[in-house]
Amino acid sequence: MAITIRPLTPMFAGEVSGIDATRPLDPSDVAALEAGMDRYAVLVYHGQHFNDDEEQKAFSLNFGALERTEGGNVTKAGEQRLGAFMADVSNLGADHKPLPRDDRRRMFNLGNQLWHSDSSFRAVPAKYSILSGRTVVDKGGRTEFADMRAAYDALDNATKAEIEDLVCKHSLIYSRGTLGFTDLSKAEKAMFKPVRQRLVRTHPVTGRKSLYLSSHIGTIIDWLVPEARAFLRDLTEHATQPQFTHRHQWQIDDLVMWDNRTTMHRVTRFDHTQARDMRRTTVAGDAPTVAQRAA
Amino acid sequence: MTVSFQPLHPVFVAEVSGIDLTRVPDPGTVAAIETAIAHYAVLVFRDQRLDDDTQRTFSRCFGPLEAATGGHVTALQDRRLPLDMQDASNLDRDHTVLDRYDRKRMFNLGNRLWHSDSSYRPTPALYSLLSGRIVVEQGGHTEFADMRAAYDALDNTTKVEIADLVCEHSLLFSRGLLGFTELSDNEKFLFAPVRQPLVRRHPATGRQSLFLSAHAGSIVGWPVPEARAFLRDLTEHATQKHFTYSHKWRQHDLVMWDNRTTIHRVTRFNETLVRDMRRTTVAGP
Repeated sequence: MAITIRPLTPMFAGEVSGIDATRPLDPSDVAALEAGMDRYAVLVYHGQHFNDDEEQKAFSLNFGALERTEGGNVTKAGEQRLGAFMADVSNLGADHKPLPRDDRRRMFNLGNQLWHSDSSFRAVPAKYSILSGRTVVDKGGRTEFADMRAAYDALDNATKAEIEDLVCKHSLIYSRGTLGFTDLSKAEKAMFKPVRQRLVRTHPVTGRKSLYLSSHIGTIIDWLVPEARAFLRDLTEHATQPQFTHRHQWQIDDLVMWDNRTTMHRVTRFDHTQARDMRRTTVAGDAPTVAQRAA
Repeated sequence: MTVSFQPLHPVFVAEVSGIDLTRVPDPGTVAAIETAIAHYAVLVFRDQRLDDDTQRTFSRCFGPLEAATGGHVTALQDRRLPLDMQDASNLDRDHTVLDRYDRKRMFNLGNRLWHSDSSYRPTPALYSLLSGRIVVEQGGHTEFADMRAAYDALDNTTKVEIADLVCEHSLLFSRGLLGFTELSDNEKFLFAPVRQPLVRRHPATGRQSLFLSAHAGSIVGWPVPEARAFLRDLTEHATQKHFTYSHKWRQHDLVMWDNRTTIHRVTRFNETLVRDMRRTTVAGP
Protein backbone atom coordinates (compact mmCIF):
# COMPACT_ATOMS: atom_id res chain seq x y z
CA MET A 1 0.00 0.00 0.00
CA ALA A 2 1.49 3.31 -1.05
CA ILE A 3 1.85 6.21 1.32
CA THR A 4 -0.40 9.16 0.57
CA ILE A 5 -0.54 12.53 2.28
CA ARG A 6 -3.61 14.76 2.34
CA PRO A 7 -3.10 18.46 3.23
CA LEU A 8 -4.94 19.57 6.38
CA THR A 9 -4.53 23.34 5.93
CA PRO A 10 -3.61 25.49 2.93
CA MET A 11 -0.13 26.14 4.41
CA PHE A 12 1.09 23.03 6.21
CA ALA A 13 0.19 19.82 8.11
CA GLY A 14 -0.69 16.63 6.26
CA GLU A 15 -2.58 13.47 7.12
CA VAL A 16 -0.75 10.28 6.19
CA SER A 17 -2.45 7.09 5.09
CA GLY A 18 -1.20 3.79 3.76
CA ILE A 19 1.34 3.09 6.48
CA ASP A 20 1.66 0.89 9.56
CA ALA A 21 4.18 2.67 11.81
CA THR A 22 4.40 -0.33 14.15
CA ARG A 23 6.15 -2.42 11.46
CA PRO A 24 9.53 -1.94 9.79
CA LEU A 25 9.48 0.53 6.90
CA ASP A 26 11.07 0.29 3.46
CA PRO A 27 13.70 2.95 2.69
CA SER A 28 11.30 4.32 0.05
CA ASP A 29 8.59 4.76 2.72
CA VAL A 30 11.04 6.59 4.95
CA ALA A 31 12.06 8.82 2.04
CA ALA A 32 8.40 9.56 1.27
CA LEU A 33 7.74 10.52 4.89
CA GLU A 34 10.85 12.72 5.03
CA ALA A 35 9.76 14.44 1.86
CA GLY A 36 6.32 14.87 3.43
CA MET A 37 7.90 16.43 6.52
CA ASP A 38 9.92 18.84 4.40
CA ARG A 39 6.75 19.96 2.68
CA TYR A 40 4.10 19.80 5.44
CA ALA A 41 6.26 20.16 8.62
CA VAL A 42 3.55 18.28 10.58
CA LEU A 43 2.30 14.79 9.72
CA VAL A 44 -0.69 13.13 11.39
CA TYR A 45 -1.17 9.34 11.38
CA HIS A 46 -4.34 7.77 12.76
CA GLY A 47 -4.71 4.29 14.22
CA GLN A 48 -1.07 3.56 15.02
CA HIS A 49 -1.29 1.24 17.99
CA PHE A 50 2.16 0.73 19.48
CA ASN A 51 2.27 -2.42 21.59
CA ASP A 52 5.18 -0.99 23.53
CA ASP A 53 7.64 1.91 23.57
CA GLU A 54 10.18 -0.17 21.63
CA GLU A 55 7.93 -0.04 18.57
CA GLN A 56 7.68 3.75 18.77
CA LYS A 57 11.46 4.00 19.15
CA ALA A 58 12.03 1.67 16.19
CA PHE A 59 9.76 3.82 14.00
CA SER A 60 11.50 7.00 15.17
CA LEU A 61 14.99 5.64 14.50
CA ASN A 62 14.15 5.64 10.78
CA PHE A 63 14.68 9.40 10.89
CA GLY A 64 17.89 9.61 12.91
CA ALA A 65 19.37 9.07 16.35
CA LEU A 66 17.10 9.67 19.34
CA GLU A 67 17.56 12.39 21.92
CA ARG A 68 17.79 11.42 25.59
CA THR A 69 15.32 13.15 27.91
CA GLU A 70 17.77 14.30 30.60
CA GLY A 71 18.07 18.04 31.03
CA GLY A 72 14.52 18.77 29.90
CA ASN A 73 12.50 18.28 33.08
CA VAL A 74 12.50 18.39 36.87
CA THR A 75 11.61 14.74 37.42
CA LYS A 76 14.16 13.19 39.75
CA ALA A 77 16.28 10.23 38.60
CA GLY A 78 14.47 7.06 39.62
CA GLU A 79 11.02 8.73 39.49
CA GLN A 80 10.63 8.54 35.72
CA ARG A 81 7.67 6.61 34.44
CA LEU A 82 9.31 5.92 31.06
CA GLY A 83 12.73 4.99 29.66
CA ALA A 84 15.65 7.27 28.80
CA PHE A 85 14.58 7.97 25.21
CA MET A 86 10.86 8.45 25.94
CA ALA A 87 9.87 12.01 26.85
CA ASP A 88 6.92 11.75 29.21
CA VAL A 89 4.37 14.29 28.03
CA SER A 90 1.65 12.80 30.21
CA ASN A 91 0.18 14.25 33.40
CA LEU A 92 1.02 11.01 35.24
CA GLY A 93 3.38 10.06 38.04
CA ALA A 94 5.49 6.89 38.19
CA ASP A 95 2.36 5.12 39.50
CA HIS A 96 0.50 6.05 36.27
CA LYS A 97 -1.97 8.21 38.23
CA PRO A 98 -2.61 11.92 37.49
CA LEU A 99 -0.20 14.17 39.41
CA PRO A 100 -1.76 16.24 42.23
CA ARG A 101 -2.80 19.77 41.24
CA ASP A 102 0.14 21.47 42.95
CA ASP A 103 2.78 18.82 42.16
CA ARG A 104 6.04 20.46 41.16
CA ARG A 105 6.34 18.32 38.01
CA ARG A 106 2.84 19.33 36.96
CA MET A 107 3.67 23.01 37.53
CA PHE A 108 6.76 22.59 35.39
CA ASN A 109 4.86 20.77 32.64
CA LEU A 110 2.33 23.61 32.41
CA GLY A 111 5.07 25.32 30.42
CA ASN A 112 3.92 23.13 27.52
CA GLN A 113 0.91 25.43 27.26
CA LEU A 114 3.28 28.08 25.90
CA TRP A 115 4.29 28.04 22.23
CA HIS A 116 7.66 26.35 21.91
CA SER A 117 9.98 24.29 19.77
CA ASP A 118 11.14 21.10 21.48
CA SER A 119 14.65 21.18 22.92
CA SER A 120 15.35 24.69 21.66
CA PHE A 121 17.01 24.96 25.08
CA ARG A 122 19.66 22.43 24.02
CA ALA A 123 22.83 23.51 22.20
CA VAL A 124 21.89 21.02 19.48
CA PRO A 125 18.13 21.36 19.26
CA ALA A 126 15.74 18.63 18.16
CA LYS A 127 14.89 17.70 14.58
CA TYR A 128 11.62 15.78 14.72
CA SER A 129 9.28 15.08 17.60
CA ILE A 130 7.02 12.03 17.36
CA LEU A 131 4.12 12.04 19.79
CA SER A 132 1.89 9.04 20.40
CA GLY A 133 -1.53 9.43 22.04
CA ARG A 134 -1.87 6.39 24.30
CA THR A 135 -4.64 7.73 26.52
CA VAL A 136 -6.30 10.93 25.37
CA VAL A 137 -8.83 13.30 26.92
CA ASP A 138 -12.19 14.19 25.39
CA LYS A 139 -12.07 17.93 26.01
CA GLY A 140 -9.06 20.18 25.49
CA GLY A 141 -5.56 18.74 25.53
CA ARG A 142 -5.23 19.52 21.84
CA THR A 143 -1.85 20.14 20.30
CA GLU A 144 -1.66 23.33 18.26
CA PHE A 145 1.01 23.91 15.63
CA ALA A 146 2.25 27.07 13.95
CA ASP A 147 4.15 27.17 10.65
CA MET A 148 7.27 29.27 11.20
CA ARG A 149 8.11 29.30 7.47
CA ALA A 150 4.80 30.90 6.52
CA ALA A 151 5.16 33.27 9.49
CA TYR A 152 8.61 34.28 8.30
CA ASP A 153 7.45 34.76 4.70
CA ALA A 154 4.67 37.08 5.89
CA LEU A 155 7.01 39.49 7.71
CA ASP A 156 7.66 42.83 6.07
CA ASN A 157 11.10 43.41 4.57
CA ALA A 158 12.21 45.84 7.28
CA THR A 159 11.57 43.19 9.94
CA LYS A 160 13.26 40.46 7.89
CA ALA A 161 16.36 42.64 7.59
CA GLU A 162 16.25 43.54 11.29
CA ILE A 163 16.11 39.93 12.50
CA GLU A 164 18.34 38.21 9.92
CA ASP A 165 21.39 37.85 12.15
CA LEU A 166 19.86 38.06 15.62
CA VAL A 167 20.81 35.41 18.15
CA CYS A 168 18.59 34.52 21.12
CA LYS A 169 19.25 32.91 24.47
CA HIS A 170 17.03 29.91 25.23
CA SER A 171 16.50 28.18 28.56
CA LEU A 172 13.79 26.34 30.46
CA ILE A 173 14.44 28.92 33.16
CA TYR A 174 12.86 31.56 30.92
CA SER A 175 9.76 29.65 29.81
CA ARG A 176 9.04 28.50 33.35
CA GLY A 177 9.79 31.96 34.72
CA THR A 178 7.06 33.36 32.47
CA LEU A 179 4.58 31.24 34.39
CA GLY A 180 6.07 32.25 37.74
CA PHE A 181 7.78 28.89 38.27
CA THR A 182 11.13 30.04 39.61
CA ASP A 183 11.72 27.61 42.43
CA LEU A 184 14.65 25.73 40.89
CA SER A 185 17.53 24.03 42.69
CA LYS A 186 21.14 24.96 42.01
CA ALA A 187 21.60 21.71 40.07
CA GLU A 188 18.50 22.45 37.96
CA LYS A 189 19.69 25.96 37.20
CA ALA A 190 23.04 24.56 36.08
CA MET A 191 21.26 21.96 33.94
CA PHE A 192 19.07 24.65 32.35
CA LYS A 193 21.96 26.98 31.51
CA PRO A 194 20.95 29.18 28.53
CA VAL A 195 22.09 28.28 25.02
CA ARG A 196 22.24 30.41 21.88
CA GLN A 197 20.12 29.95 18.77
CA ARG A 198 19.68 31.97 15.61
CA LEU A 199 16.31 33.72 15.31
CA VAL A 200 16.13 32.92 11.60
CA ARG A 201 17.09 29.49 10.42
CA THR A 202 17.23 27.91 7.00
CA HIS A 203 15.93 24.39 6.39
CA PRO A 204 18.80 22.22 5.11
CA VAL A 205 16.68 20.47 2.46
CA THR A 206 14.14 23.02 1.25
CA GLY A 207 16.29 26.11 1.81
CA ARG A 208 13.23 27.89 3.22
CA LYS A 209 13.79 30.36 6.02
CA SER A 210 11.77 30.20 9.20
CA LEU A 211 11.39 32.04 12.49
CA TYR A 212 13.03 30.10 15.27
CA LEU A 213 10.81 31.24 18.12
CA SER A 214 10.12 29.48 21.40
CA SER A 215 8.87 30.44 24.86
CA HIS A 216 12.28 29.24 26.05
CA ILE A 217 13.77 32.46 24.67
CA GLY A 218 14.61 34.97 27.38
CA THR A 219 16.54 37.60 25.48
CA ILE A 220 18.32 38.60 22.29
CA ILE A 221 22.12 38.95 22.41
CA ASP A 222 23.12 42.64 22.71
CA TRP A 223 19.53 43.76 23.32
CA LEU A 224 18.09 45.06 26.55
CA VAL A 225 15.98 42.32 28.10
CA PRO A 226 12.61 44.19 28.26
CA GLU A 227 13.10 45.39 24.68
CA ALA A 228 13.94 41.89 23.51
CA ARG A 229 10.99 40.33 25.30
CA ALA A 230 8.48 42.87 24.03
CA PHE A 231 9.75 42.32 20.47
CA LEU A 232 9.70 38.53 20.77
CA ARG A 233 6.12 38.70 22.05
CA ASP A 234 5.17 40.72 18.99
CA LEU A 235 6.88 38.22 16.68
CA THR A 236 5.21 35.29 18.43
CA GLU A 237 1.81 36.95 18.18
CA HIS A 238 2.41 37.48 14.47
CA ALA A 239 3.61 33.90 13.98
CA THR A 240 0.69 32.26 15.73
CA GLN A 241 -2.17 33.98 13.94
CA PRO A 242 -4.95 31.59 12.94
CA GLN A 243 -3.87 31.42 9.29
CA PHE A 244 -0.50 29.97 10.32
CA THR A 245 -1.82 27.41 12.80
CA HIS A 246 -3.36 23.95 12.87
CA ARG A 247 -5.09 22.39 15.84
CA HIS A 248 -4.90 18.63 16.40
CA GLN A 249 -7.74 17.06 18.36
CA TRP A 250 -6.35 13.76 19.65
CA GLN A 251 -7.90 10.34 19.14
CA ILE A 252 -6.42 7.31 20.80
CA ASP A 253 -3.46 5.85 18.81
CA ASP A 254 -2.91 9.01 16.83
CA LEU A 255 0.72 9.59 16.03
CA VAL A 256 1.80 13.14 15.22
CA MET A 257 5.26 13.96 13.95
CA TRP A 258 6.59 17.49 13.51
CA ASP A 259 9.71 19.28 12.45
CA ASN A 260 10.94 21.45 15.32
CA ARG A 261 13.09 23.45 12.92
CA THR A 262 10.06 24.86 11.13
CA THR A 263 7.19 24.75 13.62
CA MET A 264 6.18 25.67 17.15
CA HIS A 265 3.50 23.89 19.13
CA ARG A 266 1.67 23.96 22.44
CA VAL A 267 -0.92 21.96 24.32
CA THR A 268 -4.27 23.47 25.26
CA ARG A 269 -5.73 23.31 28.75
CA PHE A 270 -7.52 20.16 29.91
CA ASP A 271 -8.96 18.64 33.08
CA HIS A 272 -5.86 17.66 35.04
CA THR A 273 -7.72 14.99 37.04
CA GLN A 274 -8.10 12.86 33.89
CA ALA A 275 -5.25 10.67 32.67
CA ARG A 276 -3.62 11.89 29.47
CA ASP A 277 -0.83 9.54 28.48
CA MET A 278 1.25 10.99 25.65
CA ARG A 279 4.70 9.64 24.85
CA ARG A 280 7.24 11.42 22.75
CA THR A 281 10.32 10.23 20.96
CA THR A 282 12.62 12.95 19.71
CA VAL A 283 14.92 12.70 16.73
CA ALA A 284 18.11 14.60 17.56
CA GLY A 285 19.30 17.48 15.42
CA ASP A 286 22.72 17.29 13.84
CA ALA A 287 24.28 20.67 14.63
CA PRO A 288 23.89 23.86 16.68
CA THR A 289 22.25 26.81 14.89
CA VAL A 290 25.05 29.11 16.00
CA ALA A 291 28.43 28.77 17.68
CA GLN A 292 28.02 28.42 21.45
CA ARG A 293 30.11 30.50 23.79
CA ALA A 294 31.33 29.45 27.18
CA ALA A 295 29.29 31.22 29.85
CA MET B 1 -23.64 72.28 16.77
CA THR B 2 -24.55 69.11 18.63
CA VAL B 3 -22.25 66.30 19.56
CA SER B 4 -22.60 63.12 17.50
CA PHE B 5 -21.03 59.66 17.48
CA GLN B 6 -20.04 57.53 14.47
CA PRO B 7 -19.09 53.90 15.15
CA LEU B 8 -15.58 52.94 13.99
CA HIS B 9 -15.83 49.20 14.70
CA PRO B 10 -18.57 46.53 14.73
CA VAL B 11 -18.55 46.02 18.53
CA PHE B 12 -17.16 49.23 20.10
CA VAL B 13 -15.36 52.55 19.47
CA ALA B 14 -16.93 55.73 18.06
CA GLU B 15 -15.59 58.95 16.65
CA VAL B 16 -17.07 62.05 18.23
CA SER B 17 -17.81 65.14 16.22
CA GLY B 18 -19.44 68.49 16.88
CA ILE B 19 -17.47 69.39 19.97
CA ASP B 20 -14.54 71.66 20.84
CA LEU B 21 -12.81 70.28 23.92
CA THR B 22 -10.93 73.50 24.61
CA ARG B 23 -14.27 74.96 25.77
CA VAL B 24 -16.01 73.71 28.89
CA PRO B 25 -18.88 71.44 27.76
CA ASP B 26 -22.40 71.99 29.14
CA PRO B 27 -23.94 69.33 31.41
CA GLY B 28 -26.03 67.95 28.54
CA THR B 29 -22.94 67.32 26.45
CA VAL B 30 -21.13 65.71 29.38
CA ALA B 31 -24.11 63.41 29.91
CA ALA B 32 -24.18 62.54 26.19
CA ILE B 33 -20.48 61.61 26.31
CA GLU B 34 -21.00 59.49 29.43
CA THR B 35 -23.88 57.66 27.78
CA ALA B 36 -21.84 57.14 24.63
CA ILE B 37 -18.75 55.83 26.42
CA ALA B 38 -20.87 53.40 28.42
CA HIS B 39 -21.94 52.00 25.07
CA TYR B 40 -18.84 52.42 22.87
CA ALA B 41 -16.14 52.09 25.60
CA VAL B 42 -13.66 54.05 23.45
CA LEU B 43 -14.26 57.54 22.03
CA VAL B 44 -12.02 59.25 19.50
CA PHE B 45 -11.98 63.07 19.29
CA ARG B 46 -10.04 64.46 16.32
CA ASP B 47 -8.33 67.86 15.99
CA GLN B 48 -8.52 68.94 19.63
CA ARG B 49 -5.73 71.43 20.30
CA LEU B 50 -5.44 70.77 24.00
CA ASP B 51 -2.85 71.97 26.47
CA ASP B 52 -2.51 70.53 29.96
CA ASP B 53 -5.04 73.01 31.41
CA THR B 54 -7.79 72.38 28.87
CA GLN B 55 -7.18 68.62 29.01
CA ARG B 56 -7.51 68.70 32.79
CA THR B 57 -10.63 70.85 32.71
CA PHE B 58 -12.37 68.58 30.22
CA SER B 59 -11.31 65.44 32.11
CA ARG B 60 -12.63 66.75 35.43
CA CYS B 61 -16.12 66.93 33.95
CA PHE B 62 -16.20 63.16 34.54
CA GLY B 63 -14.82 63.07 38.07
CA PRO B 64 -11.72 63.76 40.14
CA LEU B 65 -8.37 62.95 38.57
CA GLU B 66 -6.00 60.26 39.72
CA ALA B 67 -2.56 61.43 40.87
CA ALA B 68 0.33 59.81 39.00
CA THR B 69 1.99 58.52 42.17
CA GLY B 70 2.70 54.82 42.53
CA GLY B 71 2.46 53.99 38.85
CA HIS B 72 6.02 54.38 37.64
CA VAL B 73 9.69 54.52 38.63
CA THR B 74 10.23 58.23 37.97
CA ALA B 75 11.43 60.21 41.00
CA LEU B 76 9.37 63.32 41.82
CA GLN B 77 12.22 65.69 40.89
CA ASP B 78 12.63 63.93 37.52
CA ARG B 79 9.02 64.42 36.41
CA ARG B 80 8.40 66.23 33.14
CA LEU B 81 4.71 66.88 33.84
CA PRO B 82 2.62 67.89 36.87
CA LEU B 83 1.41 65.11 39.15
CA ASP B 84 -2.10 64.95 37.70
CA MET B 85 -0.76 64.42 34.16
CA GLN B 86 0.51 60.92 33.40
CA ASP B 87 3.49 61.02 31.11
CA ALA B 88 2.96 58.43 28.38
CA SER B 89 5.76 59.90 26.28
CA ASN B 90 9.27 58.61 25.65
CA LEU B 91 10.75 61.88 26.95
CA ASP B 92 12.91 62.92 29.86
CA ARG B 93 12.24 65.98 32.03
CA ASP B 94 14.24 68.12 29.59
CA HIS B 95 11.84 67.02 26.79
CA THR B 96 14.53 65.07 24.94
CA VAL B 97 14.15 61.40 24.08
CA LEU B 98 15.04 59.03 26.94
CA ASP B 99 18.31 57.19 26.55
CA ARG B 100 17.91 53.63 25.27
CA TYR B 101 19.29 52.28 28.54
CA ASP B 102 17.22 54.57 30.77
CA ARG B 103 15.45 52.68 33.50
CA LYS B 104 12.27 54.74 32.98
CA ARG B 105 12.20 53.66 29.34
CA MET B 106 12.64 49.98 30.29
CA PHE B 107 9.77 50.33 32.71
CA ASN B 108 7.53 52.03 30.15
CA LEU B 109 8.00 49.15 27.70
CA GLY B 110 5.41 47.44 29.89
CA ASN B 111 2.84 49.54 28.03
CA ARG B 112 3.35 47.22 25.07
CA LEU B 113 1.50 44.55 27.06
CA TRP B 114 -2.33 44.52 27.14
CA HIS B 115 -3.47 46.23 30.31
CA SER B 116 -6.17 48.24 32.01
CA ASP B 117 -4.85 51.48 33.51
CA SER B 118 -4.30 51.42 37.26
CA SER B 119 -5.64 47.88 37.66
CA TYR B 120 -2.76 47.62 40.16
CA ARG B 121 -4.43 50.21 42.42
CA PRO B 122 -6.98 49.21 45.09
CA THR B 123 -9.41 51.54 43.32
CA PRO B 124 -8.66 51.15 39.63
CA ALA B 125 -9.18 53.91 37.08
CA LEU B 126 -12.47 54.83 35.47
CA TYR B 127 -11.60 56.72 32.28
CA SER B 128 -8.28 57.49 30.66
CA LEU B 129 -7.94 60.46 28.31
CA LEU B 130 -4.86 60.40 26.12
CA SER B 131 -3.85 63.41 24.09
CA GLY B 132 -1.47 63.06 21.16
CA ARG B 133 0.67 66.20 21.32
CA ILE B 134 3.47 64.87 19.11
CA VAL B 135 2.83 61.60 17.35
CA VAL B 136 5.00 59.25 15.29
CA GLU B 137 4.15 58.25 11.76
CA GLN B 138 5.07 54.58 11.93
CA GLY B 139 3.91 52.32 14.76
CA GLY B 140 3.05 53.75 18.17
CA HIS B 141 -0.59 52.83 17.60
CA THR B 142 -2.82 52.34 20.60
CA GLU B 143 -4.77 49.10 20.33
CA PHE B 144 -7.96 48.49 22.29
CA ALA B 145 -9.85 45.29 23.07
CA ASP B 146 -13.51 45.12 24.12
CA MET B 147 -13.73 43.07 27.31
CA ARG B 148 -17.55 42.92 27.18
CA ALA B 149 -17.61 41.32 23.74
CA ALA B 150 -14.78 39.02 24.86
CA TYR B 151 -16.79 38.01 27.93
CA ASP B 152 -19.95 37.42 25.92
CA ALA B 153 -18.07 35.12 23.54
CA LEU B 154 -16.83 32.78 26.30
CA ASP B 155 -18.51 29.39 26.56
CA ASN B 156 -20.81 28.85 29.52
CA THR B 157 -18.41 26.50 31.31
CA THR B 158 -15.74 29.17 31.34
CA LYS B 159 -18.21 31.85 32.45
CA VAL B 160 -19.19 29.68 35.41
CA GLU B 161 -15.56 28.85 36.21
CA ILE B 162 -14.44 32.47 36.32
CA ALA B 163 -17.56 34.05 37.86
CA ASP B 164 -16.09 34.45 41.34
CA LEU B 165 -12.35 34.40 40.67
CA VAL B 166 -10.17 37.13 42.16
CA CYS B 167 -6.79 38.09 40.67
CA GLU B 168 -3.76 39.76 42.17
CA HIS B 169 -2.51 42.75 40.17
CA SER B 170 0.81 44.51 40.49
CA LEU B 171 3.28 46.39 38.34
CA LEU B 172 5.75 43.79 39.63
CA PHE B 173 4.02 41.16 37.54
CA SER B 174 3.73 43.08 34.26
CA ARG B 175 7.32 44.31 34.48
CA GLY B 176 8.51 40.88 35.59
CA LEU B 177 7.12 39.42 32.35
CA LEU B 178 9.54 41.61 30.44
CA GLY B 179 12.41 40.70 32.75
CA PHE B 180 12.42 44.08 34.49
CA THR B 181 12.95 43.01 38.07
CA GLU B 182 15.47 45.46 39.44
CA LEU B 183 13.26 47.39 41.83
CA SER B 184 14.17 49.12 45.06
CA ASP B 185 12.55 48.06 48.32
CA ASN B 186 10.54 51.24 48.24
CA GLU B 187 9.28 50.49 44.72
CA LYS B 188 8.38 46.95 45.69
CA PHE B 189 6.41 48.34 48.62
CA LEU B 190 4.72 50.87 46.35
CA PHE B 191 3.78 48.09 43.90
CA ALA B 192 2.34 45.69 46.50
CA PRO B 193 -0.28 43.47 44.78
CA VAL B 194 -3.98 44.34 45.03
CA ARG B 195 -7.01 42.13 44.43
CA GLN B 196 -9.51 42.59 41.63
CA PRO B 197 -12.42 40.45 40.47
CA LEU B 198 -11.86 38.73 37.11
CA VAL B 199 -15.41 39.53 36.01
CA ARG B 200 -16.94 42.95 36.51
CA ARG B 201 -20.34 44.40 35.77
CA HIS B 202 -20.66 47.89 34.33
CA PRO B 203 -22.85 49.99 36.66
CA ALA B 204 -24.63 51.85 33.85
CA THR B 205 -25.18 49.12 31.25
CA GLY B 206 -25.19 46.07 33.52
CA ARG B 207 -22.96 44.28 31.00
CA GLN B 208 -20.35 41.90 32.32
CA SER B 209 -16.75 42.12 31.19
CA LEU B 210 -13.42 40.40 31.69
CA PHE B 211 -11.11 42.38 33.95
CA LEU B 212 -7.81 41.27 32.46
CA SER B 213 -4.48 43.09 32.56
CA ALA B 214 -0.79 42.26 32.20
CA HIS B 215 -0.64 43.38 35.83
CA ALA B 216 -2.61 40.25 36.86
CA GLY B 217 0.00 37.76 38.11
CA SER B 218 -2.04 35.19 39.99
CA ILE B 219 -5.52 34.02 40.87
CA VAL B 220 -6.30 33.76 44.57
CA GLY B 221 -6.34 30.06 45.59
CA TRP B 222 -4.69 28.80 42.39
CA PRO B 223 -1.13 27.57 41.87
CA VAL B 224 0.70 30.46 40.15
CA PRO B 225 1.75 28.67 36.91
CA GLU B 226 -1.79 27.38 36.41
CA ALA B 227 -3.22 30.86 36.96
CA ARG B 228 -0.77 32.47 34.56
CA ALA B 229 -1.34 29.89 31.83
CA PHE B 230 -5.11 30.38 32.18
CA LEU B 231 -4.89 34.19 32.19
CA ARG B 232 -2.78 34.01 29.04
CA ASP B 233 -5.43 31.87 27.37
CA LEU B 234 -8.17 34.31 28.41
CA THR B 235 -6.12 37.27 27.17
CA GLU B 236 -5.47 35.55 23.86
CA HIS B 237 -9.20 34.92 23.51
CA ALA B 238 -10.06 38.49 24.48
CA THR B 239 -7.64 40.12 22.06
CA GLN B 240 -8.65 38.31 18.89
CA LYS B 241 -8.89 40.58 15.88
CA HIS B 242 -12.67 40.90 15.97
CA PHE B 243 -12.57 42.32 19.52
CA THR B 244 -9.84 44.86 18.82
CA TYR B 245 -9.42 48.31 17.30
CA SER B 246 -6.06 49.85 16.42
CA HIS B 247 -5.89 53.63 16.72
CA LYS B 248 -3.44 55.29 14.34
CA TRP B 249 -2.61 58.61 15.95
CA ARG B 250 -2.89 61.99 14.28
CA GLN B 251 -1.58 65.04 16.05
CA HIS B 252 -4.24 66.61 18.33
CA ASP B 253 -6.25 63.40 18.70
CA LEU B 254 -7.76 62.81 22.11
CA VAL B 255 -8.80 59.25 22.84
CA MET B 256 -10.92 58.52 25.89
CA TRP B 257 -11.60 54.99 27.11
CA ASP B 258 -13.34 53.16 29.91
CA ASN B 259 -10.82 51.03 31.80
CA ARG B 260 -13.63 48.95 33.26
CA THR B 261 -14.57 47.50 29.90
CA THR B 262 -11.42 47.65 27.76
CA ILE B 263 -7.74 46.80 27.76
CA HIS B 264 -5.18 48.53 25.59
CA ARG B 265 -1.50 48.57 24.61
CA VAL B 266 0.89 50.60 22.49
CA THR B 267 2.63 49.06 19.49
CA ARG B 268 6.37 49.27 18.80
CA PHE B 269 7.79 52.44 17.28
CA ASN B 270 11.15 54.03 16.61
CA GLU B 271 12.04 55.35 20.03
CA THR B 272 14.65 57.76 18.78
CA LEU B 273 11.69 59.87 17.58
CA VAL B 274 9.74 62.12 19.92
CA ARG B 275 6.31 60.80 20.90
CA ASP B 276 4.65 63.14 23.37
CA MET B 277 1.46 61.63 24.76
CA ARG B 278 -0.18 62.98 27.90
CA ARG B 279 -2.81 61.18 29.89
CA THR B 280 -5.31 62.34 32.43
CA THR B 281 -7.05 59.65 34.40
CA VAL B 282 -10.46 59.89 35.99
CA ALA B 283 -10.32 58.06 39.32
CA GLY B 284 -12.66 55.17 40.04
CA PRO B 285 -15.41 55.66 42.63
